[in-house]
Amino acid sequence: MKTSIMALAAAGALAGALAAGAAVAQEEYVVGVMSAQSGYLAPYDMPAYAGFRFCVDEINAKGGLNGALPVRLIVKDTRSDIAESVKVVQEMLDDGAQFIVSSADADPTIAAAQITAADGVPTMTFAGTAPVLTQVGPHVFGSYPADNQQAAVLADYAHAEGLRSVWLVKSPDSAYTLGGPEYFGEAFEALGGAVLGTSLYSLNQPDFSAIVTTIKAADPQPDVIVTWAWEPDFPAFIKALRGAGVETKVMGGDVLDTPTVRGLGPVVDGVVHTSGGFPQEGSAYADFIDRFEAATGVVPDNNYYVNGCDIAGMIEQAVAAAGSTDPQAVTAAMAEIEDGEGVMSDFTFKGTDRMPLREVVVARITGDGGKEFVKRAMADPATLPQP
Amino acid sequence: METLVQQVVNAVSLGGVYAMLALGLAIVFSIVRLINFAHGEVMTFGGYGVFLALAFGAPPLAALATGVGAAVAMALALERAAFRAMRGADVVTLLITSFAVSEILKVLFQNGISARPVPISLPQSWSGTWRLGELTIGVAPTVSIFVTLAAFAGLTLILRRTTVGVAMRAAAEDLEMLQLLGVRANRVVATAFALSGLLAGVAAVIWTAQRGSVDPMMGFFPVLKAFIATVLGGLGSLGGAVLGGFAVGFLEVMAQAFLPPALAPYRDAVVLAAVIAALLARPDGLLPARRGERS
Repeated sequence: MKTSIMALAAAGALAGALAAGAAVAQEEYVVGVMSAQSGYLAPYDMPAYAGFRFCVDEINAKGGLNGALPVRLIVKDTRSDIAESVKVVQEMLDDGAQFIVSSADADPTIAAAQITAADGVPTMTFAGTAPVLTQVGPHVFGSYPADNQQAAVLADYAHAEGLRSVWLVKSPDSAYTLGGPEYFGEAFEALGGAVLGTSLYSLNQPDFSAIVTTIKAADPQPDVIVTWAWEPDFPAFIKALRGAGVETKVMGGDVLDTPTVRGLGPVVDGVVHTSGGFPQEGSAYADFIDRFEAATGVVPDNNYYVNGCDIAGMIEQAVAAAGSTDPQAVTAAMAEIEDGEGVMSDFTFKGTDRMPLREVVVARITGDGGKEFVKRAMADPATLPQP
Repeated sequence: METLVQQVVNAVSLGGVYAMLALGLAIVFSIVRLINFAHGEVMTFGGYGVFLALAFGAPPLAALATGVGAAVAMALALERAAFRAMRGADVVTLLITSFAVSEILKVLFQNGISARPVPISLPQSWSGTWRLGELTIGVAPTVSIFVTLAAFAGLTLILRRTTVGVAMRAAAEDLEMLQLLGVRANRVVATAFALSGLLAGVAAVIWTAQRGSVDPMMGFFPVLKAFIATVLGGLGSLGGAVLGGFAVGFLEVMAQAFLPPALAPYRDAVVLAAVIAALLARPDGLLPARRGERS
């Protein structure tokens, strides 16, 4: 009997402690972050996480979300592995995550969203741009201008430049590398342009000389070649293309907006690509770069940093609009944001399929390792190619 | 016709790189029974050698030499630090050791240098073309083919005309007998690793010059193809490795160039199916090793 009383007392004490813990837990907002520290997603997740963390720290320094609710991060490495992604998301939910920020690609985000669907925990990708990723459920959000927005703006620019025929180079190995060129082709044809041909490659393909030879032999020659290839495939492709003496204009997606591509020298001179933003003097983006550099000593040299920061702002605005941390309320509030304030650019979720409508920048790489601003435009939602 | 000849040039160029990597794998395997999957990271390290030399202002040719030297140094370091202690272990243990070394090196590259690819900017003239009649051929593939041929000629000379070369061929036949005859096995094995590193370094230089960047995963995929080439040629057979490398390169380029659009997404499957068909017909490989290591 004595033992039973002691056991009851211990259980009571434990329950009290748990209740106290729960009370404490409610005074913070727990965000789970999938961040690949190795593998093919590391080049995108690592800067995105650095920007996100920086702005979360700034928010916490001011008292937390909207000055009142500190953010606690749970960060787990996915090693760019889908199975690992699923596992870490489940662990983060078990640890109380109320919002999940997923890796910078559609495939791991879709996998994560399958796990978060049960409780409707809002899930936002670091920088996945394939519009298909939000089709998993109403709790899934993009953060960067989607591929179809980028492709529509780029097609409009190419057509305005007098280019009338395109050769598409795409890979079926990812939604990004396949979808971008296809959306471009669709938008370009709608404007009166023609797709002369298509070449398929594999991710990490060792050699692009066969594709280049095929393009070189095409008759008539295309006015422009469009690819959404990323590193290291794009450097290999452009080196092979220029090495074979093909001087046709080349255009691509936002993934070309990196110091590595710009560092390739004369072979990338004149390559045009889309981007999520451009740090023009006096802009909020330029101010972010200065603050980040002053705090960390690192100069943000790509848009993943600032987009990570914008995700922190999106969460803050959604929680403020919801007036609650309830996952369904935050999801609903996020989906209704119109002209939300961003550092890279403002964003609108209202009326979209939760891939935010944001301005798309067109930039041109210069042979000296720099890039120059070409134009900034918003895609017309009415004419966007649909996934 | 012009396109076909151009694709043949492409195939020889790619096949040459595969052949060099396959030969590096075969040299080590023939002596110590190690399928060295860390060979890809040796190649990657050579690429980073080129990058760092350029970053410190070295002229391009010196940077390429640094890359080759870095790969040799890495191969020797791996032999001494990781594989010498495992010598005599069974093939599976050695294979797992090489996978572990490969993973450790990849993580070190990612965290010590960069997870992102880093650019290699070589002189514009190296990316130019030259004309042969109606043909326009790239400078880089041409240099690649000549460097590959020179590397094979040099290796053949070393293996056939030098004492250490003869010792290596003897070690491939029977390492224990070589030791009984008083030859220092450690030196022979280290030389095999150095030669393997040299080939990986030359492959790295050609690869980085043609692709324009280096990343932690750079060596993994070509070495995977090179492994397929060694199996196709006959595991442990040096001539087979070269033949297998050119065969895989030829199959890849021709499949990329001439498969109809409907079959294009199945290109890799088509190439591997052709390799399997060849192995069904010749299970020991196209040019089997004399000791008969079955694929």
